[in-house]
Amino acid sequence: MTIPAPLGPAAAPGTVIPKGGRPRPAIAQLKRTLYFLSRNALAMVGLIIVVFFVGVAVYSLTSPLSDQALQNYCSIPYGGTPLIGCQQICVYDSTMGPAPAPNCYPTNGADIGFVGPTANLAHLTGGPLPLGSLQPTSGSSPFYYSIYDGLLKGSAWSLGIAASIVVSGALIGLALGAIAGYRGGYTDEFIMRFTDIFLSIPGILLVLVIVASLGGYVSGLEGRILLLVGAFVITWWPFYTRIVRGQVLVTREQKYVEASRASGAKTGRILVNHIIPNSLYPVFVQLSLDVGAIPLLIGGLVFLGFNIFPTQWFPEWGAMSANSVGNLQTLIEACQFGSCTFPWWQIFFPGVTVFLFAISVNFLSDGLRDALDPRLRR
Amino acid sequence: MRMWVYIVRRALLLIPVIIGVMTITFAILSALPIQTHLIAVFGASKVPYNPEVPCGDVGQPGSGNCRNPTYFQLVHQLGLDQPIVVQWAEYMKNSLTLNWGTVDYHSNAASYFSLTTSIPVTTVLGWYLPYTLELAALSLIIILALAIPLGNYSAVYRNRPIDQASRIMSFSGFALPGFLLATLALFAAVILSGGATPTCNFSSTHYYDWYGSWPPFPQCANQPSWIGTYIQTSPTGFPTIDAIYHGDWTLAWESVRRMVLPALVIAYGSVAGILRFVRNSMLEVLNLDFIRTARAKGVPESAVVSHHAGRNSLNVTVTVLGLTFAGFIGGFPIIEDVFNLHGVGLLLAKSIQPTQDFGLIFGTTLLFTIIVVVANIVVDVLYAYLDPRVRLG
Repeated sequence: MTIPAPLGPAAAPGTVIPKGGRPRPAIAQLKRTLYFLSRNALAMVGLIIVVFFVGVAVYSLTSPLSDQALQNYCSIPYGGTPLIGCQQICVYDSTMGPAPAPNCYPTNGADIGFVGPTANLAHLTGGPLPLGSLQPTSGSSPFYYSIYDGLLKGSAWSLGIAASIVVSGALIGLALGAIAGYRGGYTDEFIMRFTDIFLSIPGILLVLVIVASLGGYVSGLEGRILLLVGAFVITWWPFYTRIVRGQVLVTREQKYVEASRASGAKTGRILVNHIIPNSLYPVFVQLSLDVGAIPLLIGGLVFLGFNIFPTQWFPEWGAMSANSVGNLQTLIEACQFGSCTFPWWQIFFPGVTVFLFAISVNFLSDGLRDALDPRLRR
Repeated sequence: MRMWVYIVRRALLLIPVIIGVMTITFAILSALPIQTHLIAVFGASKVPYNPEVPCGDVGQPGSGNCRNPTYFQLVHQLGLDQPIVVQWAEYMKNSLTLNWGTVDYHSNAASYFSLTTSIPVTTVLGWYLPYTLELAALSLIIILALAIPLGNYSAVYRNRPIDQASRIMSFSGFALPGFLLATLALFAAVILSGGATPTCNFSSTHYYDWYGSWPPFPQCANQPSWIGTYIQTSPTGFPTIDAIYHGDWTLAWESVRRMVLPALVIAYGSVAGILRFVRNSMLEVLNLDFIRTARAKGVPESAVVSHHAGRNSLNVTVTVLGLTFAGFIGGFPIIEDVFNLHGVGLLLAKSIQPTQDFGLIFGTTLLFTIIVVVANIVVDVLYAYLDPRVRLG
């Protein structure tokens, strides 16, 4: 005798029912999401790039560069000996003799400003490959900066800053949005008018004003980063609050919430167990979108000349990109007399990193939206 | 509800928002050190603005620290010793009567714009606001001209090459940093317009074809009198309108030409979100019953898309435009800085470093916020006009 299949919606493809019974709903949901995500080629490309960047960030934590080296990042005078604590780059005039140290890169005496990316193929095995160098000051002794090390070290900073901003913003937004949407009435009015006020100030300008005003009070690496993160969180939470509230307004009318209320659950329990978990998906979509936007915004602030970071050449992707672009004019003026190669790599590599991160996060977010929203799965 | 009742009602809702925004800026301002306020108003002084200074500085005998009478007098003069509520009321009164302080003429912005005297911030903003508005209008036209047809096409040809292309375009517009795109566009324009060696001839005339809101006027005699000393134009401040008003068609064309590239860059960054929304709403509309009815009646497909479904996507565009306006206007400082366009954004960009001019920073921020708020009202009214259910409901 065969047991008839249970009635109800057919299990989505990818859901495997184990022998011991049905899987836990949360795990089944996760598997289903991953299945739909894996069907979306662009989202998978995005996921792979994001995972790669996270891997780079984790790897960069093992990098021997100390915080000390970050403070005076690889400013080695031309022709000088490598400084202690900053042994990443040394350059030497290749017409004058052999390399003085393993991590030294040859430059052309006529074109001392630049260590081109292709000039160092021989050093691929000998240490970090400097993808290029930046020369912020023309005239006085050149200043070398390893873009490779900057991007490597910057991955941890960029991802860390972006993630902490977005996660704290989303947590505040979740709490306030859930309360506003669930309670309704005057609470709702009050919270939403408050978010309206914040939303009407152009986001980057609010960050700018806060950092400009309070920047005088904080010094040191941790303080400045905290100020930056705080300023972004103040700017960012209203977006999440509005999204969460909109979703909670839909969720709170569902039957399971009614059932929970009917069986005597308290407001806090309903919020935490039913409303918030079921209002999460638009937050995830927005969150993944915003992570990519933050390096761009930080780059914009740095481009406007903000000393957010303790040193100008701080390894953060957005800041590096902004510095290299802002430096373009100086660079071109520096090679006005005599021929020199256009230092495309200085703009290209930081720019491509920021761009790849932002666009892959975008693809991922688009895929997540499709995978998490049942209406879009068709 | 009549249209004007709706407009008045919507405008009244503005008051708490404006008060709230000003309270936020007030809170940030009152977090500033008192010395900063004093320096901003009275200029730098030899004796530091501290309550306690070395006795020799204030002409007192003794070697320790003495009370600085000037400090307390100036603090009292500014009302910084009043209760915070009184200060807030004073701030609100001054803000609403457009008394936004003066430009600190020691600052970088003042030297860049060659503001030689302490000009009121509102006057300076009034000079440069029209330029920003004209640039914003041009970018909006480009955005709408791109987003509506592209969004509609990518909905009609869903998952076809045109949809994928517009998807990639919108994603890359979102992911490219504005400063990078703007700088690259500027250099590309210089190279393509004949300055083939921008690397080694930086201050070439080709460069100044694209950089700056006006061509450089080498001698003072060449500069028309209606472009003032501070590159502000008269009588209206809108560069193109002023040039046409004075009959200088060459300069009118020149001012528009110099705006096109920055406007394209701004549009490229902002079109992304709007395009996606237009596409998604169009997809929803195309599945509705009245579209099927129209098709069943034998209405040509092009007419179905443009007349029956197209009107709806206009509503969505207007709504999304309101939502993204704050982000759109926030990009102006960078773009105006790269292209050296004399607008409010450049004023803000130049007042940040190396010395900060807080009068200008807060003034421009407040101005940008007011632009956003007003734009949102315009969007709401437009929406109510396009979709009567909004004001009836």
